[in-house]
Amino acid sequence: MSLMRQVWVLVLGVALLALVGSTAVSTLSTRQLLQTQLQIKNSDNAAALALALSQQRGDAELMGLLISAQFDTGYYQSLVWRQADGRPAFERRVGPDTDRSGAAPAWFVALLPIAAQPGVAKVSNGWNAIGSVEVLSQSAYAHDELWRSLNRMLLLLGALGLLACLGAYLALHRIRRPLDNVVAQARAVVAGNFRIIEEPHIPELKGLTQAMNTMVLRVKSMFEAQADQLQVLRVQAHCDPLTGMSSRKHFMAELGSALSRDEGPLQAGLVLVRLRDLAELNLRLGRPVVDQVLQAIANAVLVYPERVRGCLAGRLNGADFALWLPAPDVAADTAQALADVLQASLPAFGGGLQVALGTVDLPREAAVGVWFGEADSALARAENQFGFVVEAIHAGAPPQQERSQGERAWRAQISAALQARRGRLVQYPVLDREGRLLHLECPLQLQLEEGGEFEPATRWLPMAVRSRLTADVDLLAVTLALEAIAKDGQQRYVNIAPASLLDGSFVARLREQILHAPRAVRKLGLELAESAAIHHFDLLFEMGRQLRPLGVKLGLEHAGAGLVKVDRLYQAGLDYVKLDASVVTGVSGDAARATFVRGMLVILRSLALKVYAEGLRDALDVQALWDCDLDGVTGPWASARQGQD
Amino acid sequence: MAFDTRRIPPRKPRWAARGLLLWALWWLPCAALDHGRLLDAAARFNPRTVVEAQALLQAIERAATVDEIQRLTVLNVFWNRRIEFRDDIEVWGRADYWASPLEALDKGRGDCEDYAIAKYLSLQAAGTPVAKMRMVYVRAMMGGRSLAHMVLAYYAEVGAEPLILDNLVADVRPASQRPDLQPVFSFNGEGLWQGVGASSAGDPLVRLSQWRELLAKVRAEGF
Repeated sequence: MSLMRQVWVLVLGVALLALVGSTAVSTLSTRQLLQTQLQIKNSDNAAALALALSQQRGDAELMGLLISAQFDTGYYQSLVWRQADGRPAFERRVGPDTDRSGAAPAWFVALLPIAAQPGVAKVSNGWNAIGSVEVLSQSAYAHDELWRSLNRMLLLLGALGLLACLGAYLALHRIRRPLDNVVAQARAVVAGNFRIIEEPHIPELKGLTQAMNTMVLRVKSMFEAQADQLQVLRVQAHCDPLTGMSSRKHFMAELGSALSRDEGPLQAGLVLVRLRDLAELNLRLGRPVVDQVLQAIANAVLVYPERVRGCLAGRLNGADFALWLPAPDVAADTAQALADVLQASLPAFGGGLQVALGTVDLPREAAVGVWFGEADSALARAENQFGFVVEAIHAGAPPQQERSQGERAWRAQISAALQARRGRLVQYPVLDREGRLLHLECPLQLQLEEGGEFEPATRWLPMAVRSRLTADVDLLAVTLALEAIAKDGQQRYVNIAPASLLDGSFVARLREQILHAPRAVRKLGLELAESAAIHHFDLLFEMGRQLRPLGVKLGLEHAGAGLVKVDRLYQAGLDYVKLDASVVTGVSGDAARATFVRGMLVILRSLALKVYAEGLRDALDVQALWDCDLDGVTGPWASARQGQD
Repeated sequence: MAFDTRRIPPRKPRWAARGLLLWALWWLPCAALDHGRLLDAAARFNPRTVVEAQALLQAIERAATVDEIQRLTVLNVFWNRRIEFRDDIEVWGRADYWASPLEALDKGRGDCEDYAIAKYLSLQAAGTPVAKMRMVYVRAMMGGRSLAHMVLAYYAEVGAEPLILDNLVADVRPASQRPDLQPVFSFNGEGLWQGVGASSAGDPLVRLSQWRELLAKVRAEGF
């Protein structure tokens, strides 16, 4: 029983007990009083009657008349004149039929009898004792009075009881909110959501809240310390020591991940920048100056990833830099702008500095090798010329017909597919260390043209984002997942586009849908890209607050170093995190990368999150991750492994 | 009517048969005089009162051994000698005060009802049934002046002429020989406590009347 209910029962119990107790005491004492009064009335009236009778000089007729007169004008049960030998000489009694005419119910009279003895007084005639009179008054009026007083009492005490309950309600209401807050905070901490609440005024709760807040702050500072440490590890693992850009290995991993993701532009561009004649420059200008030159180039390149989301930059080797731009048809212009900036700034370090830039525009689905092959040949062309030269290749095949069609057509096509539920979930296994299936990762494929092929999200998601249809797409995916779960009971995790969070009605609709499948929902997971936590933290938080109590798992995918930069990650209230391929690829051969993954694991585990790795191809990497004590892996390796089983 | 016959002492079979008297018999267990308590109560007044109380006890014991008519004389004489007639206002500083036998003995003075009360109670203690006694308000003619007075009447039989114990005339006489007295109203302790019970003796509402209050008082003194 909850504390509040216990207090309520206590209050009601005490009020009821007080009501019953005081009513009983009051009724009994009133009854005693009435009984005594009746007794005294009997005695006194008997004495008065006897006094009058004693003055009649034994005239029985007169005495009878007196008794009748008294009986008729008074309120008596019986008046008896008894002779000295005990025989009644004259008596008047109320008949049994007129006995009861009171307002008190019979059961009440039976329960609380008022037993007054008759009053007795001696009657004499001169010196002769001629017996006694017995006077017995009506007790019905006493019962009526008792009944009335009981009713009044109950009414009054009932009203007082109600007032007491009202007072108790107000008092409880006052402590209820802070108490609920504290309880919610405690529950949230259990769920991995560390948050601070306002301190209540009630001293006991205040102490509790202070303790909890302190704990949360400590977790926060611990988290921040770990995050700082992780940052150091990240630099060691991923960055080129001189320029602070991504190292070659990391850039390749990032690029691989970016190219294979659902979200992103259909076309993108790559810029390669090369400082020519590095060896000769080293000799001529000296290493420190060349390092400064390289630093200057790096700074110029880094401007782009700092400003544009999804833009990647790296130093491939000594003199080569790469810049991947997630937008079509901007590579050549960007390269030209970069060349202009470098041409303006580099001569300050010395004469004869030349930079060659090669750019390429390709569909995003092109392989990494194709990207670099094309870009390298552009770069080679640029190197054949003197100075700050830009060479561009538009190697991408002219966009297919449908890609160039207008936004409205896309929108109509996607809408139609959604309307007809022309979608299916493909399944990728997430395996644990022993190779057991943890859950299925289920990206949605849409059949854009009726009867046509089911196409992966890479093809239509960018347009869906632009057409603001992601919420509907995600709802369809959830519907399909719930249906599939209901069939085979397998855990299924579905991707949710961060853009859907921006749709105000999305979470409510999702909740509505989930409530219709209360059983299946326990096996449903929803995952959003890391960017959701970075850019829409509050929306993500609200989504978790609404859906997680229903049993839905909530997680982040494509998580990398950026995750740790989310200030309030410890408040987010998530169930799991999937580390991006760019973080986990290549951990087997690189101790620094493995250390970084371990660091992330420590920090995420401390928030009670499960950690999976995605996009794994290499069995050695997988083994290295098991050594890091990861919870599960997915990607081509896991799919192949499952296929074998 | 006889709802509690258990209390009838076996030595009183003659009275037990009389329905009316059963009320009185209810009072009987209390009628047995508690010597120790009487002396204790007397000791609270002063040592002289203890001596007086012992004299009273002796008188009662002596009276208990003789027949009822003689008993009247014994105790009538005892009280008429011991108590000097004085008005309440003089003795107690109040217009009317009903003194207990011990209080009367302590003061050595009292008015008409103090005599009647003391005689009534001591006769009862000596074994005279209450039903045979009545306190009677009378109008006494003294020297052509009428006077509110109280005497004790003893009825040897139901309906018989009573014997009057009075302090104005020293000896016990039948009512017919007391033309100076005109009876007005009579009462005794019968039926007084019934129903209310001993437990309510301390009930302030029940103790409103002089007579009741007196009976409560003498009960505490051992009567």
